[in-house]
Amino acid sequence: MTRVVESDVCIIGGGITAAMVAERLAERTSATITVIEAGGRTASLEERAGTRARMLAYGENPFPNDHIPDQTGTGEMYRQMVVGGSAMHWGGAVPRYSPEDFRLRSLYGVGFDWPISFDDIEPYYQEAEERIGVAGEQGPPDCDPRSKPYPMPPLPLSYNLARMREWTERAEVPFWTQPWARNTEPYRGRNVCERCDTCAVCPTGAKYTPDFAFDRLLADGRIGLVDRTLVRRLELEPGSDRIAVAHALDRAAPGDPVEFHAGTFVVAAGHAWSSHLLLLSATGRFPDGLANRTGNLGRYMTGHWYVSGYINLPMRLYPGIFANNSLLSHRFASPGPLDRYLRHDLRLWESGVGRQPRLRDDDGRLLWGDEIMADWRTRTESGATARIRAYYDVIPDGDSRLTLDAARTNSLGDPMPRIDYRAAQATLDLESHTRDTITGRFEHLARAADGTVRSTSGSRLFEHPGGGCRMGDDPATSVVDRWGRTHDHENLFVVGAPTIVSSGCANGTLTFCALSLMAAEEIGREMPA
Amino acid sequence: MGAAPVPLPGETLRAVAEAVLPAELGDDGRERAVAAFERWCEGLEPVAELSHPYLVPETRYSGPDPRPGWAAQLEGLDKECMSRHGVSLAGLDTAGRRKLLEQPLEGAGPGLGSPANGGHVAAALMAHFYSSPVATDLCYGVTIAKQQCRGLEGAGARPAMGAQP
Ligand SMILES: Cc1cc2nc3c(=O)[nH]c(=O)nc-3n(C[C@H](O)[C@H](O)[C@H](O)COP(=O)(O)OP(=O)(O)OC[C@H]3O[C@@H](n4cnc5c(N)ncnc54)[C@H](O)[C@@H]3O)c2cc1C
Repeated sequence: MTRVVESDVCIIGGGITAAMVAERLAERTSATITVIEAGGRTASLEERAGTRARMLAYGENPFPNDHIPDQTGTGEMYRQMVVGGSAMHWGGAVPRYSPEDFRLRSLYGVGFDWPISFDDIEPYYQEAEERIGVAGEQGPPDCDPRSKPYPMPPLPLSYNLARMREWTERAEVPFWTQPWARNTEPYRGRNVCERCDTCAVCPTGAKYTPDFAFDRLLADGRIGLVDRTLVRRLELEPGSDRIAVAHALDRAAPGDPVEFHAGTFVVAAGHAWSSHLLLLSATGRFPDGLANRTGNLGRYMTGHWYVSGYINLPMRLYPGIFANNSLLSHRFASPGPLDRYLRHDLRLWESGVGRQPRLRDDDGRLLWGDEIMADWRTRTESGATARIRAYYDVIPDGDSRLTLDAARTNSLGDPMPRIDYRAAQATLDLESHTRDTITGRFEHLARAADGTVRSTSGSRLFEHPGGGCRMGDDPATSVVDRWGRTHDHENLFVVGAPTIVSSGCANGTLTFCALSLMAAEEIGREMPA
Repeated sequence: MGAAPVPLPGETLRAVAEAVLPAELGDDGRERAVAAFERWCEGLEPVAELSHPYLVPETRYSGPDPRPGWAAQLEGLDKECMSRHGVSLAGLDTAGRRKLLEQPLEGAGPGLGSPANGGHVAAALMAHFYSSPVATDLCYGVTIAKQQCRGLEGAGARPAMGAQP
């Protein structure tokens, strides 16, 4: 028998962006809200000390049952489908994008301008930081603009990072503490960071994970959370372009279909599954997928690439004091006028690379007993290693696409997503300049410490991915407007990662959250106060 | 949960530990390292779901159970020792034990890798010990206490001197 769930707002997806929308609407309106999550619940806070211990000992997944075995695609995608989404595992690095990110075409003649400016999104950055609970240090205002202080003081610099910051000051490159979604003070009922250094799973609850927000909203009776329920298709109202129903499958009772009826639908299903659901929902008047009248759905999939390296430093450091804190610089994300386009961030961590205990020495001789320890000591006493990484901006390409993969279906026969990422030719043309310049900056930093760059490597993994439903004022070149409202369906919103125009050179989730809060503001205008 | 783990012959394992772990651990420190490895072996789940690598859409699993192989390796070492030297491994001096271990460790290294990577039990024991906070502190001669929940206070100070094995 078909079960029908009615609400004012139906949010599809139960990750961090869904949590932002649900929380804001619950606080500022009296709308009834349903959140639908395809996955189930995973390790509770009480269970995380145990799963953490097994992760440390055996590398096991600290969040059991956090995915759906037959629901996965091809291309760079998160595996997690669970209440809380991929932010159950996240590291919680939450930098903002830079003002330049929103005006690439106007400032540098490459890529695209967003329909919003940094000033438009800034209040929502602040709101996201307050909802999440961000601990951060104000960087130099010209490369770290903000209108209000961070909600919490920064994580303390470890002895190692403090020595590294002294070194970067000699190089005259400003570094400051990475902002983190981790408490340095008790915050919203959650604990302070205990420096356990396993942020993928935080046993104290100091790291923000979206399940905390959902649990609070559930306890207050402000949302309904329907988990283990996969939305398979959105259906239009007869004779209208409005969405009427989300058709879903209760994975615990697969024989009984579920229909979600709502006045407003919000797709908060992350960078892959959002476009996927709209493509799956193709229907008579929208044969290529909902919100796809102009053929932009699934296009401009993007993320940033990086160059990373290790630097030998002639100083005594003690790796392990606080591996999950780092130094950040956005100096080169806000570079001023440029002859050739290149924007990137810089991150620095303590590292043990090249100075780990080993079984054989440089001559391949087996080491026994005290010899291993002696060899290890010699290599740690002779200096330290810093890990450095620069995320750089990749210009999105229209043919960087998410499509339905007929060759790969789930057990219901639904085609799974396939993402063929591509960078625009502009990025490929600039790639060697980019890598050479960044490597040069690593060398400049190393020289300031009388150190050397021991190795560098480049990655073309599209990190912090987004796109597929990019925002814009012009329906001919975009899927949603600046508020995340689809151009084609007045009561259908897409929020977060899928709506970005470009992915900047900073971890993206804070921006996805800020965009979701902007959408929630617009949705809230139509809801009873 | 799979079948009950095969226990490793304790005496031979300890004889291996004496040959491969640092003597500066002392008898107590070495015994703690061996006991920790035994506990680790007991808790090991073969073919367990591993942490998802970043942006990899497939699920990864750990390898098959290395413990039966390790138990057999230890038994084999003891037998070989008996037949060559007429004593159990525990009865042989350290140099002799190392000589016996050279051939089984031929393909191992240069790094220590992860203890669960299969390979030889002696390499697994060393990998387990050297990845521990105890080993790090011993190497640096200070108390770093890596991956122990230590609170934020004190993070900025040079770690205190004098780590004990
Ligand atoms: C190991 C790791 C470390 C990370 N570290 C950082 C970091 O330090 N900083 C940073 O900025 N970012 C980080 N990220 C990325 C960050 O986690 C994501 O950007 C963010 O969580 C995305 O949130 P989301 O709400 O957009 O999507 P998701 O978290 O993917 O949530 C979407 C949810 O929707 C559900 N869903 C999808 N389709 C349907 C459907 N049809 N029906 C019902 N439900 C559906 C999914 O099951 C999923 O739970 C990290 C990610 C990982 C995995």
